[in-house]
Amino acid sequence: MDFMKSLMIAASGLKAQSGRMRVIAENIANADSIGRTPNEDPYRRKIATFQSKLDRELDAKTVQLGRIQEDRSDFKTRYEPGNPAADENGNVRLPNVDTLIETVDMREAQRSYEANLNVIQSTRRMLQRTIDILRA
Amino acid sequence: MGISDLSVFQALKTKMQWHQERQQVLSENVANADTPGYIGRDLKAPTFSDSLNRSGVKPVTLAVTEPGHMHASSSRGLGDPRKVGSFEVTPDDNSVVLEEQMMKVTSNQMDYQAAATLYSRGLGMIKTAIGKS
Repeated sequence: MDFMKSLMIAASGLKAQSGRMRVIAENIANADSIGRTPNEDPYRRKIATFQSKLDRELDAKTVQLGRIQEDRSDFKTRYEPGNPAADENGNVRLPNVDTLIETVDMREAQRSYEANLNVIQSTRRMLQRTIDILRA
Repeated sequence: MGISDLSVFQALKTKMQWHQERQQVLSENVANADTPGYIGRDLKAPTFSDSLNRSGVKPVTLAVTEPGHMHASSSRGLGDPRKVGSFEVTPDDNSVVLEEQMMKVTSNQMDYQAAATLYSRGLGMIKTAIGKS
Protein backbone atom coordinates (compact mmCIF):
# COMPACT_ATOMS: atom_id res chain seq x y z
CA MET A 1 0.00 0.00 0.00
CA ASP A 2 1.29 3.39 -0.98
CA PHE A 3 0.68 5.11 2.34
CA MET A 4 2.85 2.54 4.06
CA LYS A 5 5.53 3.23 1.46
CA SER A 6 5.34 6.95 2.21
CA LEU A 7 5.74 6.21 5.90
CA MET A 8 8.75 3.97 5.26
CA ILE A 9 10.43 6.58 3.06
CA ALA A 10 9.90 9.29 5.65
CA ALA A 11 11.24 6.93 8.31
CA SER A 12 14.43 6.48 6.28
CA GLY A 13 14.76 10.26 6.29
CA LEU A 14 14.32 10.34 10.07
CA LYS A 15 16.99 7.70 10.51
CA ALA A 16 19.48 9.47 8.25
CA GLN A 17 18.95 12.80 10.01
CA SER A 18 19.35 11.27 13.45
CA GLY A 19 22.59 9.65 12.26
CA ARG A 20 23.78 13.07 11.17
CA MET A 21 22.84 14.41 14.60
CA ARG A 22 24.99 11.69 16.17
CA VAL A 23 28.00 12.78 14.12
CA ILE A 24 27.43 16.41 15.08
CA ALA A 25 27.16 15.45 18.76
CA GLU A 26 30.46 13.59 18.42
CA ASN A 27 32.10 16.69 16.96
CA ILE A 28 30.80 18.99 19.67
CA ALA A 29 31.71 16.56 22.46
CA ASN A 30 35.26 16.30 21.12
CA ALA A 31 35.71 20.01 20.44
CA ASP A 32 38.50 20.14 23.06
CA SER A 33 40.04 16.68 22.63
CA ILE A 34 43.75 17.26 22.04
CA GLY A 35 46.52 14.70 21.84
CA ARG A 36 48.51 13.64 24.87
CA THR A 37 51.91 14.12 23.22
CA PRO A 38 53.08 16.68 20.61
CA ASN A 39 53.10 13.95 17.94
CA GLU A 40 49.57 12.74 18.56
CA ASP A 41 46.90 14.34 16.37
CA PRO A 42 43.96 16.02 18.05
CA TYR A 43 40.38 15.03 17.17
CA ARG A 44 39.56 15.53 13.51
CA ARG A 45 36.09 16.80 12.66
CA LYS A 46 33.77 14.27 10.99
CA ILE A 47 31.26 15.02 8.27
CA ALA A 48 28.10 12.98 7.64
CA THR A 49 27.18 12.42 3.99
CA PHE A 50 23.87 11.40 2.50
CA GLN A 51 23.14 9.24 -0.47
CA SER A 52 19.86 8.24 -1.98
CA LYS A 53 19.33 4.57 -2.52
CA LEU A 54 16.74 2.79 -4.61
CA ASP A 55 14.78 0.50 -2.31
CA ARG A 56 13.63 -2.33 -4.57
CA GLU A 57 10.95 -3.50 -2.20
CA LEU A 58 9.38 -0.07 -1.97
CA ASP A 59 10.23 0.88 -5.58
CA ALA A 60 11.24 4.29 -4.30
CA LYS A 61 14.33 6.31 -3.48
CA THR A 62 15.03 6.21 0.22
CA VAL A 63 17.90 8.05 1.86
CA GLN A 64 20.70 6.59 3.90
CA LEU A 65 23.81 7.80 5.64
CA GLY A 66 26.84 7.45 3.40
CA ARG A 67 30.44 7.03 4.49
CA ILE A 68 31.39 9.33 7.34
CA GLN A 69 34.27 11.40 6.09
CA GLU A 70 36.89 13.45 7.85
CA ASP A 71 37.33 17.16 7.50
CA ARG A 72 40.73 17.68 5.87
CA SER A 73 41.11 21.30 6.99
CA ASP A 74 44.04 22.37 9.17
CA PHE A 75 44.04 22.12 12.93
CA LYS A 76 43.83 25.29 14.96
CA THR A 77 46.80 26.16 17.15
CA ARG A 78 47.10 27.93 20.46
CA TYR A 79 50.20 29.13 22.28
CA GLU A 80 50.35 27.25 25.58
CA PRO A 81 53.91 26.17 26.50
CA GLY A 82 52.94 24.43 29.74
CA ASN A 83 50.65 21.94 28.02
CA PRO A 84 52.06 18.39 27.68
CA ALA A 85 50.91 18.35 24.06
CA ALA A 86 52.79 21.55 23.15
CA ASP A 87 55.53 21.31 20.50
CA GLU A 88 59.01 22.91 20.83
CA ASN A 89 57.62 26.35 19.97
CA GLY A 90 54.96 26.09 22.68
CA ASN A 91 52.01 25.66 20.32
CA VAL A 92 49.21 23.18 21.01
CA ARG A 93 47.24 21.79 18.09
CA LEU A 94 43.47 21.92 18.68
CA PRO A 95 40.69 20.01 16.85
CA ASN A 96 39.37 21.64 13.67
CA VAL A 97 35.86 21.79 15.15
CA ASP A 98 34.03 25.09 15.05
CA THR A 99 31.11 24.89 17.49
CA LEU A 100 29.29 27.65 15.63
CA ILE A 101 29.29 25.61 12.42
CA GLU A 102 28.20 22.53 14.33
CA THR A 103 25.33 24.43 15.93
CA VAL A 104 24.07 25.67 12.57
CA ASP A 105 24.41 22.17 11.14
CA MET A 106 22.46 20.83 14.07
CA ARG A 107 19.63 23.28 13.40
CA GLU A 108 19.51 22.16 9.78
CA ALA A 109 19.35 18.51 10.79
CA GLN A 110 16.55 19.35 13.21
CA ARG A 111 14.61 21.18 10.52
CA SER A 112 14.89 18.27 8.10
CA TYR A 113 13.87 15.86 10.84
CA GLU A 114 10.78 17.91 11.56
CA ALA A 115 9.91 18.02 7.87
CA ASN A 116 9.98 14.22 7.74
CA LEU A 117 7.84 14.05 10.86
CA ASN A 118 5.40 16.41 9.18
CA VAL A 119 5.09 14.06 6.20
CA ILE A 120 4.43 11.15 8.55
CA GLN A 121 1.72 13.09 10.36
CA SER A 122 0.06 14.14 7.15
CA THR A 123 0.16 10.59 5.77
CA ARG A 124 -1.36 9.30 8.99
CA ARG A 125 -4.20 11.77 8.72
CA MET A 126 -4.90 10.61 5.17
CA LEU A 127 -4.91 7.00 6.33
CA GLN A 128 -7.26 7.92 9.14
CA ARG A 129 -9.62 9.53 6.66
CA THR A 130 -9.62 6.38 4.58
CA ILE A 131 -10.59 4.35 7.62
CA ASP A 132 -13.33 6.90 8.40
CA ILE A 133 -15.03 5.94 5.12
CA LEU A 134 -15.74 2.57 6.70
CA ARG A 135 -17.35 4.18 9.73
CA ALA A 136 -19.63 6.52 7.80
CA MET B 1 -23.60 -3.67 -9.95
CA GLY B 2 -20.78 -2.90 -7.56
CA ILE B 3 -20.38 0.44 -5.88
CA SER B 4 -17.19 1.15 -7.80
CA ASP B 5 -19.14 0.92 -11.08
CA LEU B 6 -20.82 4.21 -10.27
CA SER B 7 -18.98 6.97 -12.05
CA VAL B 8 -18.79 9.19 -8.96
CA PHE B 9 -17.01 6.54 -6.95
CA GLN B 10 -14.77 5.61 -9.82
CA ALA B 11 -13.67 9.22 -10.28
CA LEU B 12 -13.08 9.64 -6.55
CA LYS B 13 -11.15 6.40 -6.42
CA THR B 14 -8.85 7.58 -9.20
CA LYS B 15 -8.34 10.88 -7.44
CA MET B 16 -7.53 9.20 -4.14
CA GLN B 17 -5.09 6.86 -5.84
CA TRP B 18 -3.36 9.81 -7.46
CA HIS B 19 -3.01 11.61 -4.13
CA GLN B 20 -1.66 8.45 -2.55
CA GLU B 21 1.05 8.18 -5.18
CA ARG B 22 1.81 11.87 -4.94
CA GLN B 23 2.27 11.53 -1.20
CA GLN B 24 4.87 8.86 -1.88
CA VAL B 25 6.76 11.04 -4.34
CA LEU B 26 6.66 13.99 -1.94
CA SER B 27 7.92 11.90 0.95
CA GLU B 28 10.81 10.79 -1.26
CA ASN B 29 11.60 14.46 -1.86
CA VAL B 30 11.54 15.34 1.83
CA ALA B 31 13.62 12.31 2.82
CA ASN B 32 16.23 13.26 0.22
CA ALA B 33 16.18 16.96 1.10
CA ASP B 34 19.88 16.87 2.03
CA THR B 35 21.16 14.36 -0.53
CA PRO B 36 23.64 15.90 -2.96
CA GLY B 37 22.53 15.76 -6.59
CA TYR B 38 18.92 14.86 -5.87
CA ILE B 39 16.37 16.61 -8.09
CA GLY B 40 12.88 17.06 -6.64
CA ARG B 41 10.01 15.31 -8.41
CA ASP B 42 6.26 15.64 -8.59
CA LEU B 43 3.34 13.93 -10.31
CA LYS B 44 1.59 15.50 -13.25
CA ALA B 45 -1.93 16.50 -12.32
CA PRO B 46 -4.51 14.32 -14.08
CA THR B 47 -6.57 16.11 -16.71
CA PHE B 48 -10.13 15.52 -17.80
CA SER B 49 -9.11 14.03 -21.15
CA ASP B 50 -6.80 11.58 -19.34
CA SER B 51 -9.67 10.23 -17.30
CA LEU B 52 -11.80 9.99 -20.45
CA ASN B 53 -9.13 7.92 -22.14
CA ARG B 54 -8.65 5.69 -19.15
CA SER B 55 -12.29 4.84 -18.67
CA GLY B 56 -12.54 2.49 -21.64
CA VAL B 57 -9.16 0.97 -22.38
CA LYS B 58 -7.13 -1.07 -19.94
CA PRO B 59 -3.38 -0.42 -19.77
CA VAL B 60 -1.10 -3.04 -21.29
CA THR B 61 0.63 -5.26 -18.73
CA LEU B 62 3.15 -8.06 -18.97
CA ALA B 63 1.67 -11.55 -19.13
CA VAL B 64 2.86 -14.02 -16.47
CA THR B 65 3.15 -17.50 -18.01
CA GLU B 66 5.53 -19.10 -15.51
CA PRO B 67 5.31 -18.92 -11.75
CA GLY B 68 8.90 -17.66 -11.58
CA HIS B 69 8.19 -14.59 -13.71
CA MET B 70 8.37 -11.22 -12.09
CA HIS B 71 5.17 -9.25 -11.84
CA ALA B 72 5.55 -5.96 -13.57
CA SER B 73 4.18 -3.51 -11.06
CA SER B 74 1.56 -1.19 -12.46
CA SER B 75 1.49 1.06 -9.44
CA ARG B 76 2.70 3.99 -11.50
CA GLY B 77 -0.36 3.97 -13.67
CA LEU B 78 -1.44 7.50 -12.84
CA GLY B 79 1.27 9.61 -14.35
CA ASP B 80 5.04 9.41 -14.15
CA PRO B 81 6.93 11.22 -11.45
CA ARG B 82 8.74 13.95 -13.27
CA LYS B 83 11.48 16.32 -12.32
CA VAL B 84 10.20 19.77 -11.54
CA GLY B 85 11.87 23.14 -11.32
CA SER B 86 11.96 24.80 -7.95
CA PHE B 87 12.88 28.07 -6.30
CA GLU B 88 16.53 27.31 -5.83
CA VAL B 89 19.24 24.73 -6.29
CA THR B 90 21.86 24.37 -3.58
CA PRO B 91 25.59 24.24 -4.43
CA ASP B 92 25.51 20.44 -4.09
CA ASP B 93 22.83 20.23 -6.85
CA ASN B 94 19.90 19.50 -4.60
CA SER B 95 16.70 21.18 -5.73
CA VAL B 96 14.38 20.29 -2.83
CA VAL B 97 13.04 23.28 -0.92
CA LEU B 98 11.48 22.06 2.31
CA GLU B 99 8.94 24.88 2.58
CA GLU B 100 7.66 24.18 -0.92
CA GLN B 101 7.41 20.48 -0.16
CA MET B 102 5.51 21.17 3.06
CA MET B 103 2.99 23.24 1.11
CA LYS B 104 2.57 20.43 -1.40
CA VAL B 105 2.18 17.81 1.33
CA THR B 106 -0.46 19.90 3.07
CA SER B 107 -2.47 20.61 -0.05
CA ASN B 108 -2.20 16.96 -1.06
CA GLN B 109 -3.54 15.94 2.31
CA MET B 110 -6.42 18.41 2.16
CA ASP B 111 -7.43 17.35 -1.33
CA TYR B 112 -7.32 13.72 -0.28
CA GLN B 113 -9.49 14.45 2.72
CA ALA B 114 -11.97 16.27 0.52
CA ALA B 115 -12.17 13.29 -1.81
CA ALA B 116 -12.54 10.87 1.11
CA THR B 117 -15.31 12.99 2.60
CA LEU B 118 -17.12 13.11 -0.74
CA TYR B 119 -16.78 9.36 -0.98
CA SER B 120 -18.39 8.78 2.39
CA ARG B 121 -21.12 11.30 1.57
CA GLY B 122 -21.82 9.33 -1.59
CA LEU B 123 -22.06 6.17 0.46
CA GLY B 124 -24.47 7.96 2.77
CA MET B 125 -26.69 8.85 -0.18
CA ILE B 126 -26.78 5.21 -1.25
CA LYS B 127 -27.70 4.22 2.28
CA THR B 128 -30.53 6.74 2.19
CA ALA B 129 -31.70 5.31 -1.10
CA ILE B 130 -31.89 1.78 0.26
CA GLY B 131 -33.71 3.01 3.32
CA LYS B 132 -31.09 2.70 6.04
CA SER B 133 -31.07 6.27 7.33
